[in-house]
Amino acid sequence: MNKRGESATAVEQMIVSASRLIKDGSVLMVGTQWPVIVSLLAKSLHAPDIAICFEGGAVLNRIPDRVPFFTGDPVVNAHCVLLGNSLDTLGITLHGGKADMALLSAASVDRYGNINTTCVGDYTSPKIRLAGSGGACDFGSLAPKTIIIVEHDKRRFPEKVDFITTPGYLWGKDSRAAAGLRPETGPYAVVTTLGLFHFDEQGEMILAAHHPSASVREVSENVQWDLKVDSNVKALVPPSEKELETLRYQLDPEGMYLRSARLLKGIKISV
Amino acid sequence: MSEAVERYVNNGDALFLGGFVQQEPFAAAHEIMRQGKRDLTISKCAGMSLVDQMIGAGVIKHLITSFTWNPLPAAAHCFVRSLTQEIPHRIEVEEYSLLALNLAYFAGSLDLPYVATKTMLGSGFDWEQNDSGAKNRLKFEQSPFTGERVCLVPPIKHDVGIIQVQRSDPYGNAQAWGMLGENRYGLQSCERIIICAEEIVDTDIVMRDPNRTLVPAFRVHAVVEEPWGGHPHPMAGYYDMDWLYFAYYERETHTEELFQAFLRKWVYGVQDRKEYLRLLGAKRLESLQPEPFISEPVSYGRLTRHFEV
Repeated sequence: MNKRGESATAVEQMIVSASRLIKDGSVLMVGTQWPVIVSLLAKSLHAPDIAICFEGGAVLNRIPDRVPFFTGDPVVNAHCVLLGNSLDTLGITLHGGKADMALLSAASVDRYGNINTTCVGDYTSPKIRLAGSGGACDFGSLAPKTIIIVEHDKRRFPEKVDFITTPGYLWGKDSRAAAGLRPETGPYAVVTTLGLFHFDEQGEMILAAHHPSASVREVSENVQWDLKVDSNVKALVPPSEKELETLRYQLDPEGMYLRSARLLKGIKISV
Repeated sequence: MSEAVERYVNNGDALFLGGFVQQEPFAAAHEIMRQGKRDLTISKCAGMSLVDQMIGAGVIKHLITSFTWNPLPAAAHCFVRSLTQEIPHRIEVEEYSLLALNLAYFAGSLDLPYVATKTMLGSGFDWEQNDSGAKNRLKFEQSPFTGERVCLVPPIKHDVGIIQVQRSDPYGNAQAWGMLGENRYGLQSCERIIICAEEIVDTDIVMRDPNRTLVPAFRVHAVVEEPWGGHPHPMAGYYDMDWLYFAYYERETHTEELFQAFLRKWVYGVQDRKEYLRLLGAKRLESLQPEPFISEPVSYGRLTRHFEV
C-alpha cells in the first residue's frame, strides 16, 4: 500500500490521465484490465453520469463493493441498471452507434494505433500465443473514440504489430476508410506509464504529453519507430490529492491494479 | 450427468458450451473429459480455463472462439502449448471478434443465411485486406443497399448445446440471470440441448416469472440437477468466482506433467461432481456464498374477468 502523501506512481499517473479524458454523461464501452479502474475513477470523481458498458451485456451504474478484477466479475451483478446479452451492449449500444467512447488495454500497439492481443510472431506458428480479441476488435472497429491504456515497454510498441486484433488507422488514415470502417471512428488517445499520445492527420501516433518524471527523449527511445512529437508537448498534470486518495483508498485498497501482478502473486493458495 | 453426456454427445460433434464467465458448464465439461470424447468442435465465446482443460485433455479438434485465457492476467497454458508446441496436438482455431461470434450464433439460431456487419474490417480477421493467415468463414462484399464494404458473418450451428443455469423445471424450461453474454442465441443454434441446473423447481415457479426463461422445454433434450456445476466460475445468487482456483490453476498447469497431475486429481480422480465437491471441501464452498441481494417480486397480472359484450 502506498503511504498517504506519497507521490503518484507511473501506473497511478496513467490511470488518472486516462480517466480525465472521460466526459461526464458519456456512454462508455469498457474493456478488461486498466479500463475498469480508469472508468470507475472517472465515475467516482468528475463523471458520475457515465454509463459503463461491458461486453458481456452489463451496464454498470454504481461503484461495486469491491473492485472488479475484469469485466465479467460477478461483483458487478448487484450494481447494474441492465444485465442482458452481449448483443445488448456490443450490438445495440456499440454497433448501433450509441456509444461515445471505448477504453481498451493492449499487449502491443503500433505506429497507427493498431492493437495486437493475439500472438507474437506469425499467426499460423506463433512464438507466443495470447488471448485473442474478445470484444476488443469490435470496440476499435466501431467506437467513435477509442482510448488505449497500456504499460509502457519498448517491446509493446513495434512499428507494425504482428497481428491486427483491433484495427487502429491500419496503414494510415485513408486505409481505415478504404477497409470500410465507418468515418468518425478510430483511436483517439494512447495513455501509457510514460506519456499521452494523440493521432495526427495521417492517423499516426504523436506524443502530446509526457509523465512529469519522464523526458520526451525517454519516451521517444521507448517506441520502435521514429516518434512524432507535438510542438506543444508538455508534462502531464500530476494526480491531485483527491484523485490519489480515491484511487488508493476507496477504489483499490487491496492494490489489485495498483500493485502489479497482485492478482496472481499475492493470492495465497490453500487447495 | 453421465447419462446425458453419454446419450447426447458423440465423438466428432460440434458443441456450444454456454456461459460468459457466469453460467459455465464445468461439471458437464469434466464428464465429457472423463468419458474420453474425441474430435469435438467446441464453440465458446469466452474460452477460459474450461476450454483450456479440454484442450489439454485432448478432446478438442477444432475451437471456435473469440478469446481463450485463464482469466486472470495469465496464460491459458494448454491452449498455448497446443498452438506453440503441438501438445497434446495442434487444435484448429477459428477466431472471430466477440460481436461477430454473437452474430454468427444469432444467424444460426434464426437460420439466417448470413448477417452483415461493420466490425472486423481491416483487422487480422479480414483475410481479404490482410494476409494474416487467420482462417475463418467470413466473406467481404459491397452492400447491395449502400455500396459500402461489409463483412458477412455465416450462421454457426451446433449438434449439442450445454449450459449451467440457476434453475429449471423437470422438463427443461430453464431460467438464468446475471450477465448472459451469448447464451440465448448460442443455445438456440443447437440441435440438442442439455440443461444443467443448480436447482430443479416446479413449472409454476417458472411460469410466475417467464421473462427470466433462457430456453423453453420444447428445445431441451436432457435436464441434470447439478448443484455447484459451474465452479470455479460464478453463478449469480449462488456462488462467487473462486479466485483462488485460477492462480492455483495457473501454477498447476504451466507444464504438461503438472497439468496431467491436475487432471488426475480433479477430473479423472473423481467419479462425479459430488466427489469433486467433497475434494474441494465444505469450508471452501461456504466461503464462496454471496450475501442475498433479493429483487422485488413483480406482478404479471392475472386477468380472470371475461368481457361483457
